[in-house]
Amino acid sequence: MARAKKKAGEINSSSMADISFLLLIFFLVTTTMDVDTGMKRTLPPWIDPTEQQNDVDVNERNVLKVNVSRNGSIMVGTEEYRASDLKRSGGHSRLSREVYHFLVDQDKSNKKATEIEGAKYNVSEGLVSLKADNESKYKIYLQVQDELTHAFNLYRDDIARLVYGVGYDELDDIQAANIRKAVPMKISEAEPNDQTKK
Amino acid sequence: MAKKGKREVPAMSTSSLPDIVFMLLFFFMAATTMREVDPLVKVQMPQANEITELDKKNLVNIWMGKPMNAAKGEDALKIQLNDKTQEVEDIRNFISATTATKGLGPKDIVVNLRVDKEATVGKLTAVKQELRKADALSISYAAMQNE
Repeated sequence: MARAKKKAGEINSSSMADISFLLLIFFLVTTTMDVDTGMKRTLPPWIDPTEQQNDVDVNERNVLKVNVSRNGSIMVGTEEYRASDLKRSGGHSRLSREVYHFLVDQDKSNKKATEIEGAKYNVSEGLVSLKADNESKYKIYLQVQDELTHAFNLYRDDIARLVYGVGYDELDDIQAANIRKAVPMKISEAEPNDQTKK
Repeated sequence: MAKKGKREVPAMSTSSLPDIVFMLLFFFMAATTMREVDPLVKVQMPQANEITELDKKNLVNIWMGKPMNAAKGEDALKIQLNDKTQEVEDIRNFISATTATKGLGPKDIVVNLRVDKEATVGKLTAVKQELRKADALSISYAAMQNE
């Protein structure tokens, strides 16, 4: 009877803190917290060079040629741009403004009537052909890509305002997908052999 | 007087310490992911503004930069796939092996190109050509948010 009353001894939990500290330090060391961020692109499908190539016909008027040279200067059409033209002031850089105006200011004949949400809108068929010298720096190449993306996003914003009355950022997923489909990011990343061809 | 001097400050209660540490532990377990591979090449990511967050589930990483243990003056770019440095030609095998283990097609994955900002575009183009041959057409240029 006396035995039944005896309480089981409590487990000493003073080492609990040490154990959990060890676990904590283990996780601190073996894990990373960074979120992967990047600029998404889609490559054109591979075409065997031995096969007959039928190049997609693109009207010259719809193409804006951007050329990055090895010393870091950038040719846009016939005009030369410097590294400072990639720097943003007031939200836009000189390059992104230029590309944006190229998309907006095209003639009506170069705009395709595209159906969005049941109504037709004139959307630019503008295409940016980006070429970079093999020796040019990736940093500058990506900066140019960034500004081109920015220009297309500005144009998408315009179309979104036309169609939905609000900016591209405020659209829901389906609406944003509609806009993306209507205004594809037409940035052609030229192949290396294209450079020797022309 | 003698009585007062003997009085001791009671020991601070540490019974809540395990709880606090466990909370921290759970926070880190939830907020972080396991480091999968050790970097063998030095990659300083470029900065950009128009970037999006990438879904880790179908992301395949390719690193490109100077090797960590490179001698001074050596500036050959190396490509790291998984946990070893490999050649451009190995990319196709790498893609097919990775997609096979993930149970995805080459079109369902996004190849994240973690390229050093001082790298040259020529080598990147070679990588992209291999990716086109491997039919892995969705790519992303890894970049950090510009401040």
